[in-house]
Amino acid sequence: MPNEPAGPVHLVPRRAAAWFEPAWRDLWVGHLGRLTGAANRRQAATVQVRYRLALAWLVLDCWRLSVFDRSQSASATTTPKPREPFQMFASDVRHSVRRLIREPGFTLATGLTLALGVGANVAVFAVVEAVLLRPLPYDAPHELVVIRNRDQQTGVTKPDVAIGDAVDLAGRQSAFSAVGGYAAGQATVFGEGEPFQVHALRLTAGAFKALGVRPAVGRGLTDADSRVGAGPVMLLGYDLWLRRFGGDSSIVGRSIKVGQETRLVVGVAPRNFGFPPSGTTDLILSGSLPEAAPAARKEDWTFMLARLKPGASVAAATANLGMIAGQLERDFPATNRASTYYAVSLRDEVVGNTRTALILLLGAVAAVLLIACVNVANLMLARSVGRQREMAVRLSLGAGRNRIAAQMLVESLVLVSASAAVGVGFAHFGARALVAMIPSSVGIAGLAEIGINPTVLGFTLLLTVVTALGFGLVSTLATASDGTARTLMAGRAGMISRGARRASAVLVAGEMAFAVVLLIGAGLILRSFAGLLSTDPGFRVDQVATVELGLPADRYDSLPAREAFYQRAFEAIRAVPGVLEVGAAVVTPLTGNHWTTSFERTGYPVPPGERAPLVGWQVASGGYFKALAIPLKAGRFFDQRDRPGNPPAVIISEALRRQFFGTENPIGTTINDGDERIEIVGVVGDIRRAGLAEEPRPDLYFPFERSPSQGITLFIRTEGDPARATSGIHGALRSIEPSVVLLQSRTMADIASDSVQVTRLMLWLLGIFALIALALAVVGIYGVISYLIRQRTREIGTRLALGASRSAILWMVMRQGALIVGTGAAIGLIVGVLAARTLESMLYGVTAADPLVVAGATTVLILTALAGCYVPARRAASVDPAITLTVT
Amino acid sequence: MSDRVPRLPKVSHLQYLALGLLRQRDRPGREIRDAAGSFGVRRSAAAFYQMMARLERDHLVEGWYEQVRVGDQAVTERRYRITPAGTRAWEQTRAFHEAVAAAGSRRWSNA
Repeated sequence: MPNEPAGPVHLVPRRAAAWFEPAWRDLWVGHLGRLTGAANRRQAATVQVRYRLALAWLVLDCWRLSVFDRSQSASATTTPKPREPFQMFASDVRHSVRRLIREPGFTLATGLTLALGVGANVAVFAVVEAVLLRPLPYDAPHELVVIRNRDQQTGVTKPDVAIGDAVDLAGRQSAFSAVGGYAAGQATVFGEGEPFQVHALRLTAGAFKALGVRPAVGRGLTDADSRVGAGPVMLLGYDLWLRRFGGDSSIVGRSIKVGQETRLVVGVAPRNFGFPPSGTTDLILSGSLPEAAPAARKEDWTFMLARLKPGASVAAATANLGMIAGQLERDFPATNRASTYYAVSLRDEVVGNTRTALILLLGAVAAVLLIACVNVANLMLARSVGRQREMAVRLSLGAGRNRIAAQMLVESLVLVSASAAVGVGFAHFGARALVAMIPSSVGIAGLAEIGINPTVLGFTLLLTVVTALGFGLVSTLATASDGTARTLMAGRAGMISRGARRASAVLVAGEMAFAVVLLIGAGLILRSFAGLLSTDPGFRVDQVATVELGLPADRYDSLPAREAFYQRAFEAIRAVPGVLEVGAAVVTPLTGNHWTTSFERTGYPVPPGERAPLVGWQVASGGYFKALAIPLKAGRFFDQRDRPGNPPAVIISEALRRQFFGTENPIGTTINDGDERIEIVGVVGDIRRAGLAEEPRPDLYFPFERSPSQGITLFIRTEGDPARATSGIHGALRSIEPSVVLLQSRTMADIASDSVQVTRLMLWLLGIFALIALALAVVGIYGVISYLIRQRTREIGTRLALGASRSAILWMVMRQGALIVGTGAAIGLIVGVLAARTLESMLYGVTAADPLVVAGATTVLILTALAGCYVPARRAASVDPAITLTVT
Repeated sequence: MSDRVPRLPKVSHLQYLALGLLRQRDRPGREIRDAAGSFGVRRSAAAFYQMMARLERDHLVEGWYEQVRVGDQAVTERRYRITPAGTRAWEQTRAFHEAVAAAGSRRWSNA
């Protein structure tokens, strides 16, 4: 006999459990009886639906009884007292709903305005919550930091640390409870059927401890695993363990070949573990740092991760690192002069410059809500004319002022709550659209599943309550009367008080000011974006496809094997229809790469105690320059003469030639690389390697032909659309090596576009918000001027009857509007210029107080707002005095 | 004859009805609710069992779960029995109503 299921008692409040349980069993017995009696599947399905509906009703009923009926706390036999406050509230809600239904125009106008305002705020907040507020998926994530390096001589900041410095920093620091090195990348697993690619994370024991990983099976990485010469070990990612090894715990102790090493499996990582936070981690490989800093301190590099000691701050850690950097500078001036280290919280590292953009957007969208609120407040003021009379009647009949204020509050609460509900609907779609615009470089997990969660709903509730309180106050003040009889008279005449009129004008002027601030912000970003798009990166981004590939480690271990592959690959790709040029390089331009190396010209030794200047470097084939159309200024590109076995060669950029050779011809001269002399064979044009906003820096190019590596990016110039050639290129590569790993294929134009994604996001959103603000401000000024004219119709009629010209009337009304618009614009201009300073980090080629933008934004607002005034002004000028004087 | 009228009853009409039904025999809650329905007293399941829970809390009835069979399923349902305090409460209520009825008929006959 099947067991009886447990009742879903978790669905109801704890206090309702005592009566929910028997009620549910009652329902269940009835349901089983009906199910047993069902003649066919269709009937059984109907019975199931009926049961579910009844269950839902039962749960709701239990909530209703436990929230609204407190009589169970009294004796079973006492008659509960009527709950007056609740009944009054319920009655006020009913009254408010009826009023709002009776005034559909007002309800729709205010409701939609607020819904848009609240919706935009909730959408931006949903993204802010996911990106900036949601904790990262690690133990005490606020304690996690990464260490970054800044070269004060070149101004270049790097995310990685030279090995020599990493060892000394880890050894001398006192701010961290754990610190270590890490590197994330791809790896190939062999010996488990077909070789397959995985996401691997190499960690030293210190970094493993810093992350606080608690293995699901087996053990973690220990100091012994990280010693140089220790046997390589690894942990399997939880998903990989389930997917490939069937969740078998006996995998611990087995050896698996990863890349060129056979590693002992010592454990399984916990479920959902991934590092970096947005990434997947299939394997955690043991890594090591040397026990003592090597003599060649800056030959090798690692990323560094640390956990702050409890109570320590990022600033304190930076001070500690700065002190050690100073010591290293004194100890090793030849390598460490002007090189400093600092800590960045892991969240700041993964969020990048999107943080500033999102905070600014939150400010901008709050301004839009304020403007929407001002418009609604104005509508409420206008509506208060009729209600003053109603309130006066109620006061004269004995209603208390508090009672009336409470009713006003409930009315605004009903209006705002309904608007907020619609706004949350808008936000649901808005947040998704926003996420699509967030740069892919923002490494936050779960962005795709962004939506309306409890935190976002809490924010909406807060917004709703604050807005409702604000409107409740406006309504109460606007409808408050100091003397019933006077208000009754004023109400009959349909007049709004002088104070309310002035308040309305001030509100609209404030609206104008907010709109100018947003227009200035949008204008500055627009100019920056236009500037970025028109920037010449020094190479052509159109008609270039890029393909990132990796070769199977075991088969392409030797240099001749790799050389043979690339030779055949280049030939095969050139044979693909539409392909004009093909080249290879290690660094993809415009992806923020700041690799540098020491530069020393032969015969110009670095003085003792000085550090060799740093220049950018790249490994590229001759075809790379041709594919990207980087101009050759002197000498030649790399070719077959630069293959292994021939004399080493290097190409320099023009900036490097200018800085180190002046007017001298560098071709044929040599530079030092340790004891080796490398001949300069060519000079090429400067390019913006890191990003469009970065000025070109001196660059050195080493021949790919001499040291082709297993992982590179191909650059292919095509005749037409490069995206169309991609499948042909993939086919050509697979025909040579079926197990080649094609990691990512993008066009160079897409890469360039991605590099300005944060600016584009700001442009879109600030632009949309500024346009909404402008439209709302114009509607606001239109409403206020229209209302003023309606009140002065009789006066205007009299003026016309006494001989005033229509143009004089037009001018009189326009002057009134211009005063409001001018005041708002002037305040907005001052605030806008000050607020624009917060945008400075995102501006390119334009200052925060750019006169063109400031003047343009102000002019646009003034002209548009005056157009909003002109319509009612014209109406005023066309008043017929005969009619107004008799009818009004 | 003394004109002493019993105190206002402590139980509601539905509770009086439930106690009355339980005076006859122990019953499952479902049966009491159905019986109340036949008297035209309709309550939602939650409200009905809330009322029964209050009677239990005030020791006027005792409740327990008992297993029954529906088809091939074993299910449990809540059964109730009246307590001596419950019987007293029912009798007091009945006495009140009888006294009120008697007082009413005296006034009619005196009119």
